Amino acid sequence: MKKVFLFLRSMRFGMILLCLIMILSLAGSLIPQGEEAMTYVRAYGAGAASWIIRLGIDDLFHSWYFLLIMGLLCGNLLLCSILRFPKTLRTMEGLKRQAKEAEWDHPLAPGQAEKIRDRLSAMHFRRDGNLYTAHGIGAYGSFLVHLSILLILLFGSLTLMTPKIQDLTVLPGDSLTLADGTEVTCLSFRIENEKGELDYTSLLRAISPGGDREKEQEVRVNEPLRFGQYKIYQQTYGTAGRVLIQNEGNGAEETLYLTEPAFLSIDSRNGVYFQTLYPGYIQEEDGSYTLITSTAMGYADPVYSVQSISEGSSASVLAFPGETIRIGEISFIFLEPEEYPGLRIKTLSPFLYGGLYFGFGLIVAALYLCFFHTPVCVRVEEEGVVIRASKEVPELRAQLDESGQGEFSI
Amino acid sequence: MNVLLLISILLYFAAMAVQFAASAGKKAGLHRIAHGILFAGLTAHTAMMVWRGIAAGRLPLANQFEFASGFAWAVAVIGIVLRARLKQEAVLTAALPAAFLILSYAAFQPREIRELMPALRSSWFGLHIGSAVLSYASFAISAGLAVTYLLRLRKGASPEDGTMVRLDYVGYRLICFGFLMLTVVIFSGAIWAEQAWSSWWSWDPKETWALITWIFYAIYLHQRLRMKWRGKRMAILAVIAIILVLFTFAGVNWLLPGLHSYATAG
Repeated sequence: MKKVFLFLRSMRFGMILLCLIMILSLAGSLIPQGEEAMTYVRAYGAGAASWIIRLGIDDLFHSWYFLLIMGLLCGNLLLCSILRFPKTLRTMEGLKRQAKEAEWDHPLAPGQAEKIRDRLSAMHFRRDGNLYTAHGIGAYGSFLVHLSILLILLFGSLTLMTPKIQDLTVLPGDSLTLADGTEVTCLSFRIENEKGELDYTSLLRAISPGGDREKEQEVRVNEPLRFGQYKIYQQTYGTAGRVLIQNEGNGAEETLYLTEPAFLSIDSRNGVYFQTLYPGYIQEEDGSYTLITSTAMGYADPVYSVQSISEGSSASVLAFPGETIRIGEISFIFLEPEEYPGLRIKTLSPFLYGGLYFGFGLIVAALYLCFFHTPVCVRVEEEGVVIRASKEVPELRAQLDESGQGEFSI
Repeated sequence: MNVLLLISILLYFAAMAVQFAASAGKKAGLHRIAHGILFAGLTAHTAMMVWRGIAAGRLPLANQFEFASGFAWAVAVIGIVLRARLKQEAVLTAALPAAFLILSYAAFQPREIRELMPALRSSWFGLHIGSAVLSYASFAISAGLAVTYLLRLRKGASPEDGTMVRLDYVGYRLICFGFLMLTVVIFSGAIWAEQAWSSWWSWDPKETWALITWIFYAIYLHQRLRMKWRGKRMAILAVIAIILVLFTFAGVNWLLPGLHSYATAG
């Protein structure tokens, strides 16, 4: 049992796990993930495809064995970090003891010791009798690196697995009401900025359920709107037809957005049935129209496909922006289409982001400590010098080596 | 700009040839000539990057050409700085072929300046790409030093020889720096991805390969710091690692399309 425990906390086991993660990641990047079964059959043949699906390689990064390996890595990091911590605390004491007990690394000529002491003082080494120490904080570098990886794995898993994500579209002027009553209104949407660069920007206003908090912000790629537990991203966009409906009988008018087939009528019998909006058309020599369905070139020459229905008879017509179809007292004026945003609304506690980003910052700082703040203890006496450090420090040796004249020497 | 690019490539090549000749003949005078040529090449290269940055109105690191050019530039700069600090010609001898080859690779990439796509317009752009350039450059020089180490070993040099120990140590320190920078790349990229695409990690091929590279270097560092590996085994690992780096840099863009596919576009 003890042997198993020792293995589970060992660096050897950690290295095995890292190798396994590397190999699985490599496989996961080469074999397409999350595709339909037929994709694998076409790419690898029926036999290989059935193994890919049976072993969960088609969704490798969510497979039980990948998650198990990640869990074991967390356990390994936790055990080795906790168990090594007392030793980490005693790093400098250990170096001092070693320096005191060691024979000279470099015997000194008379008078040299004082120069070395001056140099160490100039390098901000702390003096304790004949012992000079520096970078004690670097001893915690390795521990903090492992701790930060644990934090990243913990908060990272939570931020990836727990958020509730909704993809919604909203027309300019319309509002969305979220689960807790927060209201998000799209005030406007544009694709290009003033310089003509693609920009995809929604102007959104969010109001808290009680109306006590309000935030208005332009939301674009890289600039989501944070509002309480919500983060609202500019995700996609679509193009909607628009029609201005005027009732000459009572003078009323209203503009409607057309995103799906709809029958526009007052009496449910007469009106216009909107079928679809085509992005463009080509007028043939005989006067007929060939309609373009691809949106690759945008809505350069939009045209509405509608049916006018009046007194039981209907006729299919193409309506161009600016054209009017009259049915009785009602005028349907087709306008230029307008773009509308597709928003992604993510619900997640800001605390989890905080934990994750703290982990990111900590690992960078900890690696810096680990690599560039090596704890070191130098014993200087008239007869010689002893240098003890937790890692190699040839630069320090070179700096103390007068004969080296600043050159890199060991 | 094309002229400056050509001049830079030719000067890097000339500096490399003279540096090799100087190292083979152990002639300090030739080394000085190589340094002069390298400075001239770096000046032309810097001028090209500044010109491109001004023309594009942004940091010139947005596509494969610009990144490769920045990568080669960082290799040359780190090589010069380390040469000055350590007074080791081996560093430049290792850096110059890398700078020449990477800039030559850049020359084959589409070079037209295009509008920055919305996802790249972020305050994280400079930190993410800049640290990637520094990281890759450090790894490249480290691999060059590892190759030098292995070649000298093959010629009969002793691993205990001072020069060999220095080669081994400088390569390791470059990997420490590169690893720190690669960590910055991954985590600045994660924060950026969360802002742009709503998820900080998507197992996109570029992310995955950056992680594979990071894990490989983590293994390298553990072997060195805990298992006390030195010399030949470390050099072999550094050479294998640069293959991963180069695949992450170029191979992923061409073979494994994903969220970072814009990197291949001109």
